[in-house]
Amino acid sequence: MWPRSYRAGLPNTRSSLDEESACLCIPEARAWHEPDRLMTLIGDLREILGPDRVLSEPLERYLYGTDGGMARGEVIVVVLPETAGEVSDVVKAAKRHASPIVARGAGTGLAGGAAPAVPSVVVSLTNMKTIEIDLGNRTAWVGPGVINLDLSKLTRSSGFHFAPDPSSQSACTIGGNVANNSGGPHCLAEGTTTSHVLAVEIVTADGEVVLLGGPAPDPIGLDLRSVVVGSEGLLGIITRTLVKLTPNPLDVRTILAGFATMEDAVATSSGIVARGVVPAALEIMDQKMTRAVENFVGAGFPIDAAAILLAEVAGHPAAVEAEARLVEQVANENHVTSLRVAADEVERAKLWLGRKSAFGAVAQLAPDYYLHDTVVPRTQLVATMQKIYEIAERHGVLMLNVFHAGDGNLHPLVAFDASVEGQLDIVHAAMEEVARVCIEAGGALSGEHGIGLEKRDLMPLLYSEADLDAQARLREAFDPDGLFNPQKVLPAGSRCADLGRPIPAGAWL
Amino acid sequence: MTIAAAFAPFVGLAVADSGLPECDLMAAPQTIDELEQILDLASEHQLKAVIWGGGTHQGIGGRIDPDLVIATSQLNRLIDWQPEDFTVTVEAGMRVSDLEEMLADRGQMAVLPELPGAATIGGVMAAGISGWRRARYGPTRDRVLEVDLVTGDGRRVRAGGRVVKNVTGFDLPRLAVGSYGSLGVIAQACLKLWPEPSTKVTVSVADGDRALATAYRPTAVVEADGVAKVYLGGTEAEVDGQVESLDGTVVPGWFWTPAPTGAVGWSLRVPPALIRSAIERLPSGWRYQAGLGVGEIKAASVDADGAAELRAWAESRGGALVIVSGPVGLYSDMDPWGTPPPGLDIQRELIRRFDPCRVVNPGRLPGGI
Repeated sequence: MWPRSYRAGLPNTRSSLDEESACLCIPEARAWHEPDRLMTLIGDLREILGPDRVLSEPLERYLYGTDGGMARGEVIVVVLPETAGEVSDVVKAAKRHASPIVARGAGTGLAGGAAPAVPSVVVSLTNMKTIEIDLGNRTAWVGPGVINLDLSKLTRSSGFHFAPDPSSQSACTIGGNVANNSGGPHCLAEGTTTSHVLAVEIVTADGEVVLLGGPAPDPIGLDLRSVVVGSEGLLGIITRTLVKLTPNPLDVRTILAGFATMEDAVATSSGIVARGVVPAALEIMDQKMTRAVENFVGAGFPIDAAAILLAEVAGHPAAVEAEARLVEQVANENHVTSLRVAADEVERAKLWLGRKSAFGAVAQLAPDYYLHDTVVPRTQLVATMQKIYEIAERHGVLMLNVFHAGDGNLHPLVAFDASVEGQLDIVHAAMEEVARVCIEAGGALSGEHGIGLEKRDLMPLLYSEADLDAQARLREAFDPDGLFNPQKVLPAGSRCADLGRPIPAGAWL
Repeated sequence: MTIAAAFAPFVGLAVADSGLPECDLMAAPQTIDELEQILDLASEHQLKAVIWGGGTHQGIGGRIDPDLVIATSQLNRLIDWQPEDFTVTVEAGMRVSDLEEMLADRGQMAVLPELPGAATIGGVMAAGISGWRRARYGPTRDRVLEVDLVTGDGRRVRAGGRVVKNVTGFDLPRLAVGSYGSLGVIAQACLKLWPEPSTKVTVSVADGDRALATAYRPTAVVEADGVAKVYLGGTEAEVDGQVESLDGTVVPGWFWTPAPTGAVGWSLRVPPALIRSAIERLPSGWRYQAGLGVGEIKAASVDADGAAELRAWAESRGGALVIVSGPVGLYSDMDPWGTPPPGLDIQRELIRRFDPCRVVNPGRLPGGI
């Protein structure tokens, strides 16, 4: 079977790509059909990495052309460096050949961040898997190819874990987490990836290896580390990260509550937060989703409930006790229909397996799915969810919902069959409306998946010309030629030459 | 039109505030729109401007002889407070103490520095200053959800959003923290709030290191001149349970001690595991306050004797020794920051694009940029 993304085709954004290529900073980027040019580039890369770590066969290039999302791009060649020095040499070679570069980890991203928008050299960092743990400082230096869950497994016996836990944590890499500022259910209490990054080592667009940040608090100078986190591969290639390790909770309790309406579930979640309790996680699923999950993994979710709330409280045993009582109390006030506390670690793991298998479970319903990611202020959740269901109904699409209710991060998912003509367009139209509704509610375009290609052209919904120009200036300061992951995040024309003052002659610098 | 005439509309009453440096041109914008006009004019005339919030962190960084002082004291409005969302949006000139006092009425806190004095939200952000509670709640940069900057050439730019989780675009809000206005004057910010714990205590203990190892995720452990205080917060049962294991003197509430003062003020930053070693290396006569588990030491001394050796050691361990306050002459004898960090070229390129005429705090950052 072909991968889903092949069947689903390309997102709307694709149509605008071809027009834009004309104004790419790298003018020759599309001339890769000239065999000489391609062979010299491949030859140079083989000299750096040897023949085995340069992949140029059509199937290999095809496999690296996409991520977990729907976009597929053209790969010139794939390289598998193992050190920062090799990454640096690859960047210099690609630059010499005027080839754009797309860095990637496991490719679990959903916004097209790792799918080249123009033919590119793809730098896969999955071979860079070193881990150096420093328990004294509660930190670890990790290579970008380290799998998220592997770090937590490795530190578990010492009493620590890496807090960001995206649903894909058994496959996604920490380099990818850093590039996307990934979240996960447990970032409600612990913060997203950026709160756990003390330093990043990057290879710049000049091929220089630079360490940003460090093991001590408040590194001096502009905090470039903070802006590299979440920059979706546009500012540099991450070759090493110093991450914080978080102490494992002394006690944890996971509560599963069923409700007769989505409103009650959301009111419970918001009510818990509003009373000053910050649980470890607050996740909601609607009935369509719980049924799909039950069928798929049998997590023990009540399938008769219109919505379920998965609440986890963790920390000091006394706090866990008090917070669990409060969760039950707020649930009762909001007409909870069923309530169960996971009796042991096995049951708890099963509940989380159910939550984290949600997207996989959708495969039973339709061959393709489109997973959205938006954020609204928590007080806007009820009204926004209502509007989202209306949008689904109006467009006649099968929508399922599972979301991080505690931080207002929504994940409407539409299951569909892309081989039915016109279906994908309907899905895109519905999802764009969802984005608009969330922004009108005071929200943002993405809470954790990123902008990539998928939402690039929606950025003007949220930001003014001056705002986007500032973002483009920031990018330009790191990568003036647009070598890294071109045409992502910022829509064409973001950089406005007529905004602001030119740098006066003879000014400083 | 003379420069003075051009700035006349922006000279407000607030500039009569105490503590402002002597300067021919003093402006106190009443709106962000006025701040844009002021910076546009400053760029046109290529003036050097110092931004004045509460004046509490002006001793940090390279010295500037300004042509213009911009006071943010009039930009102190509450824009939007959503208690149930745990977010608040304020103008940058609001004092930290006023904000925290307002939030406390609803049992919320912004977790900014505990004894802020006259410090403003914008000042604390621009200087990248965090409180001791960062041990539990993270540094100030983790609080900033949205920022409105007015760039050096007078353009208002917004980034981030008023939601607690957001990856829409590059993280300019976090980059603005510690930027000393070099990318733009922070005009307004949305902050993430935390619930105030129902029970708070301060426990004085003899052995801070032991307390840090014993307590489960304490709010802060601060040692000053040999005595440590452990700050705990949470439910009553949780706090009581922790107190028992600590073996110290308990006082209800959080009581913070002012940082030591002296002719020279310092901020020593080391990896947390080296803090004991750092305390032992302080030159004799230095008084200190150390955040155990954090790696920051606030110190004061009569002179800079021994500082160069201490700085060399801290830098060799990935840290820094920064001058926080001192006599003017010290800044020419000793770099206020120490060895500039890597990536200085990128920093320069960034600043060029946000403040092309280099108006705001030129030369304040490490490397004299």
